[in-house]
Parts: sequence; C-alpha cells; structure tokens
Amino acid sequence: MSKRILCKFFAHGACLKGEHCEFSHDWKDQPNNICTFYQRGVCSYGSRCRYDHVKVSRPQTSVSSSSTNSLQNLASDSVQVTHPSSVAFSGQTTNVPSVPAELSALSRPFVPFSRPSWSHDTGVHKFSDDENGWDSTITQPADRPICSFAAAGSCPRGEGCPHIHGDLCATCGKHCLHPYRPDERDEHIKTCERKKKHLEALKHSQEIECSVCLDRVLSKPTAAERKFGLLSECNHPFCISCIRNWRNNSPASGMDVNTALRACPICRKLSYFVIPSVIWYSTKEEKQEIIDSYKAKLRSIDCRYFDFGNGTCPFGTSCFYKHAYRDGSLEEVVLRHLGAEDGDTVIAKDIRLSDFLANLHLRFLIFIADIYRLEVPKYLFCCPCYTPLLQKCVVQDLLAGDPNGGLTTGHGQL
Amino acid sequence: MVDFARVQKELADCNRDMAISGVSIMLHGNGNDLSHLSGTITGPLATPYEGGTFQIDIRLPEGYPFEPPKMQFVTKVWHPNISSQNGAICLDILKDQWSPALTLKTALLSLQALLSAPEPDDPQDAVVAQQYLRDYQTFMGTARYWTETFAKRSSIGTEEKVQKLL
Repeated sequence: MSKRILCKFFAHGACLKGEHCEFSHDWKDQPNNICTFYQRGVCSYGSRCRYDHVKVSRPQTSVSSSSTNSLQNLASDSVQVTHPSSVAFSGQTTNVPSVPAELSALSRPFVPFSRPSWSHDTGVHKFSDDENGWDSTITQPADRPICSFAAAGSCPRGEGCPHIHGDLCATCGKHCLHPYRPDERDEHIKTCERKKKHLEALKHSQEIECSVCLDRVLSKPTAAERKFGLLSECNHPFCISCIRNWRNNSPASGMDVNTALRACPICRKLSYFVIPSVIWYSTKEEKQEIIDSYKAKLRSIDCRYFDFGNGTCPFGTSCFYKHAYRDGSLEEVVLRHLGAEDGDTVIAKDIRLSDFLANLHLRFLIFIADIYRLEVPKYLFCCPCYTPLLQKCVVQDLLAGDPNGGLTTGHGQL
Repeated sequence: MVDFARVQKELADCNRDMAISGVSIMLHGNGNDLSHLSGTITGPLATPYEGGTFQIDIRLPEGYPFEPPKMQFVTKVWHPNISSQNGAICLDILKDQWSPALTLKTALLSLQALLSAPEPDDPQDAVVAQQYLRDYQTFMGTARYWTETFAKRSSIGTEEKVQKLL
C-alpha cells in the first residue's frame, strides 16, 4: 500500500533512497499529507501546519473541502497539496484513535510559550473548521484533548477555544489537568510533586559542604566526585571520595579501625557502611529511602566473592550483594543458635578447624595464666587484626618469658 | 598528596578572626611551601601563660587531612604535656584521635586549651609533671617565668634584660 503514496522527499526533488524507496516515486500517486501530531491530539502549528489536519474517521469529502482549502491558502511551499485521496486512508481504522494515557499534558509535543503571531488572523478561521470536526466525531469529553496554549499559559482563543481548557495544577502552576481523565490527573499531580520535591532537595544539596575537603560537594570538578557519602548512624555530610579515603586510610599511624576510621570524623559515631548518593536528604524518611534504594540496587548484582557458590564471601549473610547460585536459587541462610554460658543464645558462625585449634591455645593459655596468677579476659579480640587477643599477642609474649608484656604492650592493648 | 586547596581555605578562614580566636597561621619563614607552616597562639587568660605568644612549627604530612599535622612548640614552654627540651606535644588529637574534620585552626585552639588544662597524668615531660603534682606553686612560678622570658615579644630590649640579670 505504501508504494502508492507519493514520497515526500521525491516531491521535493531529492530522495536518497532512489528506486529502493518504499514510497512511490510516481507523480501520479497521491502524497500522504496527514499531520500525525494532529491525529494524536495536538499539533502546535495549528492551522499553519503544512500537513493536513484531518481525523481519519471523518468523511473524506468534508476533510478535503475544509482543511486542505485553508491549507492551500496558507502554505507557501512548493509542496503540491492535493486532496488526500481515500486510497491513503482505506486501510486505516475508522475509529477515533483514543489518545493514549502517556500522552498527558506533560508529554505533549513542545508548545511555544509566547503568543504566536499568527494566532490573531488565522485562529478564528481555523477553529471554525475544527469545531465542525470535533463536534461531528467526538462526543466523549474524555477523548477530547486539552488545549496546549492554555496549558502553557494563556490561550489566545479564550472562551471560544474548541479544546478543553485544563484545570490548574497547584504544583506546576499550569492549566494542564484534564477535567475528564482522572487517571491522567492523578498521574500528573504525582509526577509534578515528585519533581518539585526532587528539585527542592537538589537546591538544598547544592549548599552542602564536605567537612573534610571544605568544598561544596556538588561543585566538585568531576562527576564522580559530585556525590555525597552518607553514614548510616549520623547525619554529617561528606563527599564520597573524602569519606572513603578516610575509611580506607591505613591504620599505620596508630589509629584504631573501629574507634577512629569507621567513626564519623565529626561526631565519632561508629558507622559500618557508607552510602553514595547524588542528593542530600532533609528528613529521616528520605535518608531511609536513599539507603533502601541503594541496597536494592546492590542486591540485584551478583557478589563476586560468593561467585555463584564457588567462592566464599567474607561478609557472609550481611553482604549487600546477591548471593545466588547459577540456577538462580538464593543462598540459604541457616543460622545456628548456640547457648552461651550466661544462658543467652548466640548466633554461631561457621566453625573452622583453625578456630578449634585457637581454642586449644586458649585453654593452654588459661593454664599458663593460672600459673602466673594473671586474670585472662576470654573474649577480647585484637582490634587491628581481629584474631583472639590471647591467641596471638599474649601467647607470644608469654612464651617469650614476659608474662606482663602481652597485657600491656601487645598487638592490641588490653 | 596534601590537599592544598583545603590548606589555603583553612589559612584564610583561620586568619579572618585571629583577633578574636587568638590563633593565626602563616607560611613558615619566607618560603612558599604550603606544607610547612608556622602557627601562633596567645597564652590563655588566668594561666601562667597569659600574655605570652607561642610559636608552633606545623608540618603537613603527605596524607593531610587524612593524617594529623605534625606540630611542635618553637617557643619554650613549661608545661607537663609539652617537652621542655624540644617542644614536642602530647595531645591525642595530634596522634590517634585525629579526624579529617579537624582543621589546623581547631588543632591550635586545642593546644590553647591544653595550656589552660594540663594533664599531668599523661605527661610528655616527666620533670614538669612531677613538679606540677608535688609542688604546684613552684610549677606556677617556673611556667610564669618561662612565659616571661621566652614568650613575650621583647618589650624590653636585650640590654635591659642583661641589666635585670646583673
């Protein structure tokens, strides 16, 4: 069918596709000169549009008489405006194309804000054409499009406008709420409010300075640096690079990982993870939302340590990444509860042989400690290396013949 | 790599209100090395250090601000936590309690606070600390004398000083 429609590039004298063109290069064929914007609801060119403003459902006679005549008067191009033949429409639906919901006022084609200069002289002439068309075809008010001029500010046609003038949206201040499409209204109000909130948060975030580099986080030179690093336990702002730098700092300078590096540089509150975010929050809920969406994103990424079950992840069950096997099944977490000495239950980790051996050391130690009459705290772990303190530091010092050494100058001080 | 942008900001910020805070930072000597600075603090009121101006040598390590600045008194001070020999300072925030949110200004202010609140139980100079604990009056006298001698801008000329000694 398309072969019988005149190629518009050919009509202008230059079709790059030549004889492979899917449209006809024969002057005898009729061009398809229908404005697709108009068919979907709104054409911002109005009566000045070089394409035919027709509704496919309309009887073809009335179309050719009304809209193309007016077009011929206006159009000054070399395009041969001919009456759209019924051939061009024969295969198309005869129903009114209902305007899809996505085509709400927000996603309408661009509408110029200023009053178009041509609207005065041609407006009246044009909408009289249109009015006939709308009245004859569309009866449901919900199917009628809203006026894009009114939505953008003011409609030059005022009361006499054939389109529906939308209700005022309180958030964006535009008349873009369709009075007869409740779904579209709700959708618009929701997006509008979300957008406004986001904009306000962004504006607020612009002012925030990182307490480490003393720069405004969102004014950093590279895009990668223009991110906040949120700490889980407190609300002090840092840029992601600064806080990560600090937490990755080697504890060589005598600083302790848990009390210094993992703590907030300002309030020294311990946080176990940092969340990157492009926006700063103002309420607790917003922060939670950022954290949740970040975690949700990570949960969709396979953990490279777990490696589909082939490896072991040092973070175990608290890993943020996805622990799934090749067949898609998730890792099953079985927590083993053990009774502790004081009657409480504790959650046991995987027991390794080395743990058992360490335990042997411990017993040996307590035995030695008894000899030296030392009080041995059982559950202390060395801060930098996380091994049981008694296993590493004290054993070595005790065996080196300095019973007090380990307790005062060992790896981690008791 | 030292974050020089931050150092420059810190200098400007610190010297803006030096009249009120009593601390100031300059580049060391006539050099233009931003990692070698020299700070001054005024002795806090109602202490034996009152009226003195103390010079502090500041060196910024490569990792600044993620590593603490190295500070040392140039002016001789009689204080339990400051070495009377070389001016070394015993202050936790200059060691393991450093935080990148601290600045040179806050560090100098902490030194000022240290002058008014000595910690004789965690001494840098054992002699001074012992004197502080056992003979407080003598400690006060010595501290005041050292301030008078080393930390006062020479309001009296060298000759007068010699006269005074004779």
